[in-house]
Amino acid sequence: MFEVFLKEVKELLRDRKTLFFVIALPIVIFPILFALLGFLASKTTFEAEQKVHIYYLANASLSPDFEQMLFYHKSFRPYKGNEKFETIEALKSAVKAGKIDVGIEIPATYDSQVAGKHQQISWHVVFNDAQSINFVYKRLEKLINKFSAQIRSTRLEALGAPQKEHPAILKPITITKVDTADKRENYGEKLGALIPYMLIPLVLMGASYPAIDLGAGEKERGTLETLLLTPVTRTQLVLGKFLTILASSISCALVTVSSMAIWVAIAGGIGVLDTIIDAFSSVTFTDFLLIFALLLPVAVMLSSLVLAISIYARTFKEAQNYMGPLSMLVFVPIVVSVMPNMSLNTTTAWIPITNVSLAIKEIIKGTVDHSAVGLIFVASALLAGALLMFCIRWFSKESVLFR
Amino acid sequence: MIVVNGLKKRFKLAKELLNTTSSSDSRQREGFFHSVENVSFSCGRGEVLGLLGPNGAGKTTTLRMLSTALKPDAGSIEISGQNIVKNPLKGRKAIGFLSGTTGLYGRLTARENVEYFAKLHGLKGRALKSRCDELFTRLSMGDFLDKRAEHLSTGMKQKTNIARAVVHRPDVVVLDEPTTGLDIMTKQNIIEFIRDLKADNTPVVFSTHHLDEVALLCDSVCLIDRGTSRFCGSIEAFKEVGQSGELNDAFMNIVNQGSLHV
Repeated sequence: MFEVFLKEVKELLRDRKTLFFVIALPIVIFPILFALLGFLASKTTFEAEQKVHIYYLANASLSPDFEQMLFYHKSFRPYKGNEKFETIEALKSAVKAGKIDVGIEIPATYDSQVAGKHQQISWHVVFNDAQSINFVYKRLEKLINKFSAQIRSTRLEALGAPQKEHPAILKPITITKVDTADKRENYGEKLGALIPYMLIPLVLMGASYPAIDLGAGEKERGTLETLLLTPVTRTQLVLGKFLTILASSISCALVTVSSMAIWVAIAGGIGVLDTIIDAFSSVTFTDFLLIFALLLPVAVMLSSLVLAISIYARTFKEAQNYMGPLSMLVFVPIVVSVMPNMSLNTTTAWIPITNVSLAIKEIIKGTVDHSAVGLIFVASALLAGALLMFCIRWFSKESVLFR
Repeated sequence: MIVVNGLKKRFKLAKELLNTTSSSDSRQREGFFHSVENVSFSCGRGEVLGLLGPNGAGKTTTLRMLSTALKPDAGSIEISGQNIVKNPLKGRKAIGFLSGTTGLYGRLTARENVEYFAKLHGLKGRALKSRCDELFTRLSMGDFLDKRAEHLSTGMKQKTNIARAVVHRPDVVVLDEPTTGLDIMTKQNIIEFIRDLKADNTPVVFSTHHLDEVALLCDSVCLIDRGTSRFCGSIEAFKEVGQSGELNDAFMNIVNQGSLHV
């Protein structure tokens, strides 16, 4: 078994494709990819923030105060053309034609409405909302709210309420939030769910590539039959191959996590990602060990499964076709773990992958129930053992080996 | 010596073939394909036995049973008095197997390929090194020993495969169409290899479609047709039963007669 394992590892380390997926991709490509995404996102946000919107205020003469507010706002610039857009339809056409970014229609009856004191006034803001990052409406809403507050204040004073009493009238009860959850628990709830999304598929990815090579690849190259004719038992052969796949699977997850940790630390050093570092600072080494311990049976399960699939497949391509649906199958239980009201209990502790996913989240939050972790470990180890046994039986079947 | 007696092997038919009643092949029945129905032969020390038969006759299944890759449904295979059907692990130690389609581990060197199989056969330390060195010299592999198998020529690969197949000094060597698709030079390597084995008194069971190779190398032949051994005996007897001095004609005559000459 040891000879099989050593030979498989040697071959694996000489395979550029596997090395790329298991080592290079996590170390270099993922951080580059994340950095690139972060750069593009911040660039787009920055550009959106810096953008000055061209506006047209219909019936501007009815509210010179608001016209002034808008004119002196650093993010707005009036339309300089000669055309007039005094109706909602005209404003819509102007936005569509790209002549203005936003149009505001003050109703023709504004004067009487504002004087009426008891009437609610309706303004229309015309803009294109089909952009992922768009600050125009928020900025305008803020400005209109500020203007609206001025009118409200005037009306309240007219009703006899002094300025200092306005807050008590407008908001008789204020709420002060006293959160018993500490920073770790809060961030853990949000970030903790992401960790299994990253780790479990990585465990699968690390197992899939060598598994295809070690099972279907051997069949296709014509080396499997020679291997079967050596005085090594089928159990030893499966275990040798299985250990190689397991090692690759765990390495892939460890390399990625270490790489991410290093990159987060580097980013932290230059003052970026302070919140994330702050949130994870209370996660102890024991917590990391616990996460690793929980990932082990998952890696055993997935390694056995991909090896069984690969042994069944006749060719490399056939094995790859089977692996696709398996990745979908792995995502489903992870998605289940982030569904509302899903928590770790004696029932969910028995659902494969969902249980580990929930436990990882709880560990990051610092609220994990250690007895539930024990139960998960037992449940996952039982399933992993059963799958490994199945894999050995599968490898002994003539109908599978000589399809 | 290897003695094969009454081998049988059947395979479950695929679902789409189960309800096919029009099949003219009498070996398809009761939901099974009876690939080997009754095959018997023997091959003594220093003897080269040619296993002949048309395509689909059951030669490869028979050889897979000899090599312990497949378990026979009935019958026995004895090597030096040991029934390897009951003890396949012992059989694997006693048999060296080589076929025309056998591959090598491309990312390992020729040396590593041979040494890996030597280790799997339990060789280690000095014994492993001396056996490997002996084979490397005998097969003139010095020039490409440390080249990866994926970069070797067909001839180099075949030499490596030969070394791999006999590194554990097998009692019997089984060759499944070892010259198929090879050029003249590589074929010559195989022919020399079989002659060397014969000189070493190793029994060789050799499946082939090339009757010129049979004439060149074999002492006896076993003709398998439709899963059954139709003839087993010396080359001379084969020609006599086949009523022709030419192996090709004798082969056709025996297959067409359909009777047993075992």
